[in-house]
Amino acid sequence: MMRRRMILVFLMPALTLYLCFLVFPAIQAFYLSLFETSGFGDNVKWVGLRNYSRLLTDHIFWLSVGNMLVILLAGGAAVFGFAFLFTVLLNSGIWGKKLFRAMIFMPNVIAAIAITTFWSFVFMPRYGLLTNILKSIGLEDLAKMAWTAPENIIWAMLVGLVWISTGFFTILILSGADKIPIDMVEAARLEGANNRQIFRLITLPMMWDVLLITLVLWVVQAITVFEFPYAFGGPEINQNLYTPSIYLYIMGFGQRDPIYQLGYATAIGVTMFLMMVISVTVLRLLLRWDQVEY
Amino acid sequence: MKSRKSILPRRWPRRWKNAASYIIVGGWSGFSLFFVLWVVFASLKSTRKLFSKPWSIPYDPAFGNYVKTWVSSRFGDYFLNSLLVVSLSVLVLLIVSTPAAYVLSRGKFRSRQVISSFLVFGMGVPIPLLFVPLAVIMAKLGLADTLSGLGLVYVAVSIPFTVFVLQGFFSSLPSELESAARIDGCKDWQIFWHVMLPLAKPGILTVAILNFVGLWNEFQLALVLIDSPENRTLSLGMYSLITSMKYSGGDWAGLFAGVTIVMIPTIALFLFLSDRMISGITMGGVK
Repeated sequence: MMRRRMILVFLMPALTLYLCFLVFPAIQAFYLSLFETSGFGDNVKWVGLRNYSRLLTDHIFWLSVGNMLVILLAGGAAVFGFAFLFTVLLNSGIWGKKLFRAMIFMPNVIAAIAITTFWSFVFMPRYGLLTNILKSIGLEDLAKMAWTAPENIIWAMLVGLVWISTGFFTILILSGADKIPIDMVEAARLEGANNRQIFRLITLPMMWDVLLITLVLWVVQAITVFEFPYAFGGPEINQNLYTPSIYLYIMGFGQRDPIYQLGYATAIGVTMFLMMVISVTVLRLLLRWDQVEY
Repeated sequence: MKSRKSILPRRWPRRWKNAASYIIVGGWSGFSLFFVLWVVFASLKSTRKLFSKPWSIPYDPAFGNYVKTWVSSRFGDYFLNSLLVVSLSVLVLLIVSTPAAYVLSRGKFRSRQVISSFLVFGMGVPIPLLFVPLAVIMAKLGLADTLSGLGLVYVAVSIPFTVFVLQGFFSSLPSELESAARIDGCKDWQIFWHVMLPLAKPGILTVAILNFVGLWNEFQLALVLIDSPENRTLSLGMYSLITSMKYSGGDWAGLFAGVTIVMIPTIALFLFLSDRMISGITMGGVK
């Protein structure tokens, strides 16, 4: 048996840091969101829930929520579509599975801020790589398209984001698929099950946990996404790229000109956290219920 | 898995299906390679050439771009800052997380499960929620705009994932060794230090690399916590270069030199350790 003192000594440093710089600020956020202030020095004004009621009528906030939904739903459909496609293709017995897996995952080890620079060059008006390609294959009309115009920019950003995320979710879903014991499939085949039955009765149920976890991860990532759209937008980022996190940062710290509405910014963070908790709960309930139906 | 057939038409001969798989998967993978090569090539051209011949291979490399970015844009300083804060953070992270993960997986005490779940909960806290509170706390502690403050936060936010993965790793080690050592008269900490820690080395190395890469690329917390140019990390330096460029006209070649400097260390690690990194992430992500 381990002695109590050792357990304490071994746990304390990690728990202390975790409590001080993660748990405590997370709890403090709820408290700070009830004030109006530009610095948490002297002139702190208690406003109760007024920051939240202001959020309800703030059309920029709702714009950012709309953008978040585009990323969550359209981006999610693309990411999971590609990830499942690659899982199936990589498991179809082709050569070099590990190499392809590593290459598909690779963008995830590169700083988002570095990747956005490349994508900015791709979508640059007139001189961008995309325009260049479209011109050279004779699609002059498409080449004139303003990819970074306010109404298109979120889709341009989404291309890069989907590229990175697909790599991440492919390795997760692939590892889930690889955990399905091969003899189970073989046995079913011997018993005369066809491919569709094998997919419905073995692959899908065994993948269910992985599907739930990856969906939860995607929802969390999509609701809190900051770096990629923020860096893609550059200085004076277009409002059509705002996600709740970016709006939070802009309201709390500003970009070129500081803003410092710290209470209001924190209220955005808390709202985001609640959106996350609600969607994850709904997702779990939905998928659990489906599983029972099976 | 044979469900591939539900995606590609059933009547296609096997060879075609294989060819289609290679084209799709190979094309997507090839794009990663293209990305790296294109960026490196772009960083070795003059900006004018980059615009007139974006696809060309620079046979007369313009290394001046790197000198300019490294010296005038101060990427040398930022590189050192990043190296310092990231290495020290990872070191401290391992020192505090490994013992915690060890007792959480091998110890037998009542609150073990509670503490484990409590730590896992940290993985679900959105970082942007912490922006304002952390700025306030850092100001109160006198750590605002310092690399040590940033490092402390880096350690704290990395603890949940690290402990989670290490805990899984310790649990997978055979317990016979532990009891054998105990019978031989080893004390608790000796078992940890001489028996379990050496066995856990591969797991520790995995989380060290994953955290190094993650923190090397970290941007949002540095953006919030660091103000002065001399304390910038590499990703912040990259962002400030983009920002300054939008106002002073486009030195795109210098920008891509910056991108290359940012990505070379992590890509080099990935080249040698991709298997380890991928298995570490799938361990932390799907369990």
